[in-house]
Amino acid sequence: MPGPITIFSARKIITMDPAVEEATHVAVRDGIILEVGTLNECAVWGDHTLDDRFGDSILIPGLIESHAHLLDGLLWAKAEYVGPIDRRDPSGKLHKGLASIPALVKRLKEVEAAISDPTAPLVGWGVDPSLNDLPDPITRHDLDQVSKTRPIFLLAASCHIAYVNSATLELANYAAIKAPGVLRDASGAPTGELQEMAAMMAAIKAVASNLVGASTDAEQFFNFAKVAQVRGVTTIVDGGGSTYFEPAFLQAALAATGSPDFPVRIVAHNNGITVPKVEDMIEAATMLRGKGNDKLVFQGIKILLDGSNQGFTGRLRPPGYLRTGANGLWNRAPEELRRIVSAMHAAGMQIVAHCNADQASEAFIEAVAAAQAEKPRFDHRHFIVHGQLLNESQLRRMATLGISATLFSNHMYYWGDFHRTHTFGAFRAAAMNPAATALRLGVIVAAHSDTPVSPVDPLLTMWAAVNRVTTTGRVQGPRERVSAYEGLRMMTYNAAWLLHRDHEIGSIRVGKRADFTVLAHDPLAVEPMAIKDIPVRGTILGGRVFPTAG
Amino acid sequence: MNIPVTVIGGYLGAGKTTLLNRLLAHPQGVRLAVVVNDFGSVNIDAALIANRDGETISLTNGCVCCSIGDNLALALYDLAERPDGPEHIVVEASGVADPARIAGYAASHPRLFLDGIVVVADAETVRARVHDAYVGDLVRRQLETADLIALSKTDLVDAKTVQQVQEWISVEVPDARVVTAPRAGQVADLLLSGPGGHAVLYDALPGGEHARQFMTWSFVRGGVLDGDALRTVIAALPAAVVRAKGVVRLAEAPDRRFVLQLVGRRWSLEPDHVENRDTVVPDRSVIVCIGLADQLEPERLEALFAPVSVAVVPRAVKALLQGVERP
Ligand SMILES: [Zn+2]
Repeated sequence: MPGPITIFSARKIITMDPAVEEATHVAVRDGIILEVGTLNECAVWGDHTLDDRFGDSILIPGLIESHAHLLDGLLWAKAEYVGPIDRRDPSGKLHKGLASIPALVKRLKEVEAAISDPTAPLVGWGVDPSLNDLPDPITRHDLDQVSKTRPIFLLAASCHIAYVNSATLELANYAAIKAPGVLRDASGAPTGELQEMAAMMAAIKAVASNLVGASTDAEQFFNFAKVAQVRGVTTIVDGGGSTYFEPAFLQAALAATGSPDFPVRIVAHNNGITVPKVEDMIEAATMLRGKGNDKLVFQGIKILLDGSNQGFTGRLRPPGYLRTGANGLWNRAPEELRRIVSAMHAAGMQIVAHCNADQASEAFIEAVAAAQAEKPRFDHRHFIVHGQLLNESQLRRMATLGISATLFSNHMYYWGDFHRTHTFGAFRAAAMNPAATALRLGVIVAAHSDTPVSPVDPLLTMWAAVNRVTTTGRVQGPRERVSAYEGLRMMTYNAAWLLHRDHEIGSIRVGKRADFTVLAHDPLAVEPMAIKDIPVRGTILGGRVFPTAG
Repeated sequence: MNIPVTVIGGYLGAGKTTLLNRLLAHPQGVRLAVVVNDFGSVNIDAALIANRDGETISLTNGCVCCSIGDNLALALYDLAERPDGPEHIVVEASGVADPARIAGYAASHPRLFLDGIVVVADAETVRARVHDAYVGDLVRRQLETADLIALSKTDLVDAKTVQQVQEWISVEVPDARVVTAPRAGQVADLLLSGPGGHAVLYDALPGGEHARQFMTWSFVRGGVLDGDALRTVIAALPAAVVRAKGVVRLAEAPDRRFVLQLVGRRWSLEPDHVENRDTVVPDRSVIVCIGLADQLEPERLEALFAPVSVAVVPRAVKALLQGVERP
């Protein structure tokens, strides 16, 4: 027995489908789109309820975050956001960026004053002095101003650095920890900056142990979903580090996403990161196939090739990092990678490959070329995550081999200046995330936030790809800017295609799921620099309305 | 008691696994923990497995083998916190890891310290590998950061090639300490530091290949030593000395015991954290050097160490020592 029909009206519906590009009404039944057109065209289906609440808004296909991490949800659950970037929390509340140490200390004092238990640690996340107005490091002296007795632990957005106060240093006995990542001042005393897990672990165990080890907390799933939903996301990727193959974790994920109130769909990559052996990755992926629900599906196996560019661990082609000529780190040896890629490809899997710098992309492209020679496959949809320094030659090979990519367009905004002066230099900073060339060559590309690395906000990501402007207002690589239409397609249809979900989401077309994002203004008509500021009025997921606070 | 941590690096196929297998099968009475990337890479004799619990395999000989999972720091933290903790930890770095980076984890807990970085290099392929576009820089970095290089598979090439590779390493890494190990496992005994890391070791080295390659030289003195002179001597030890251990008394703090640890180029001379008075004769210093048999010159070592003895132990110091030792 089919359910009732709802017809949503809008000032304009942008379908991203060339057959009917614009409409004013969309009819929905049982979570599926019945018709798109005028009210009369929709009413042909018979009895319906007309939902006019978004009559003065713009409806677009539900926005898709094509690369993010569930860790974001855990951080919102366990720590206070105190970073330099504006972020909305799961309730939709905007946390203005704290772009200086005095601003950080002031905010921490407020947070501290609100904690009633005098021994409870203050745990924060999101700090990043490289994005502050003055890039001075945060020290224990700064944090001791907040409290000399309550342990304080602040995790950087990169998760590679932490800052602690004297109370934490003492509690975790840092006097006896000689790890080189424990920075020390001239007198040999720890400064409070702890670089990399080797230096951080003792502090984490002492004051923030709920940030390590697999959590089965339901809150992390809801936070992860809500932070995205308030910025218009209807589908988000959990990018590969989670352990869905563990029964307790899978159970927790199914329970959370199975709730009717769960506001987004999660596409989870299978874990090829913490699982050492390719046979085990394939077995887990096979076991999880079809084990999801309406809002949780498993797709692709995620593998890591290199590190991060701002952390100087991405693998670069010559001449390496700016000035030093140094190169980054492989996560797996390229020859091991070739075996893994070949095995996954032969097993019919989709491979999702984290390749941050260009040598990592090259190694992956070569591995896929070899795998294709062994066993040609069409429509495998292997894709690169980040691919920040892809060049035209690599993109042409990708086109012929069937490899696509989700680019890290947010990087140009947040770290474009940093890359220009510290990691890549002027030319390569301008060459980052070449979306226009990729699309011109027929490589289907999407773009992502990699939250918690940068905030999940598809309109901001679209804006970054359209404008390629840095925080100081410099436009880098203007020829690689995409049109607003292409930018929106990257965040909808292209992302759906990468995730093998284009048959059901990614555009507003009869027969697809009724996943829409409701905006106050038309993202294709506003001034390109205004795209990121368009208010999100809500989302519709399978026909159900999820309002946003904003 | 603090726990020494040894990092084993080297490119894929160089022989790290052979070395780890040998360590687990013959731990020389040391309660050893071996931390690996993947259980599949080590080949533990089924008869040796006492129990498997998630990321940890316990062996009947008291050793454990743990997988790194996704967090080496966490794996090491858990080992350091175990009430029946290991006496020595060996960490396998992945084939493309920078061992110096992994070594950063060796001091991630107050009870842990870095004993040394040992890099296994394949005599047959290492010279070509440093020119590989993808991994050449890392293979070179592995050699550069090694405290001790174990040149493996030397039985697969002729003697002349072994010599050429050794010469090549000495040019590429000027201060390198190199031992040859046709099968990498043969250097396993060299890495272990004896029960608790304190007992003076290697009074009897195993026979065969090992004995032919290595010889020991011991230094035993009554009274206290001149710490500054000793540090100067250790820093100037010839490259033929690949391993040394010692328990010494120094004039600068005669009531304390100091422990000397040396793995290739890396050494430390630190006050002992836990005084266990039963295991050493008070008022006596012992240092054992293990070196390459064909290069170690005992007379040269005798001459080198000559200045470290403090001729006369002041009476007051002696009285103090005795007072401390026999209250
Ligand atoms: Zn990621």
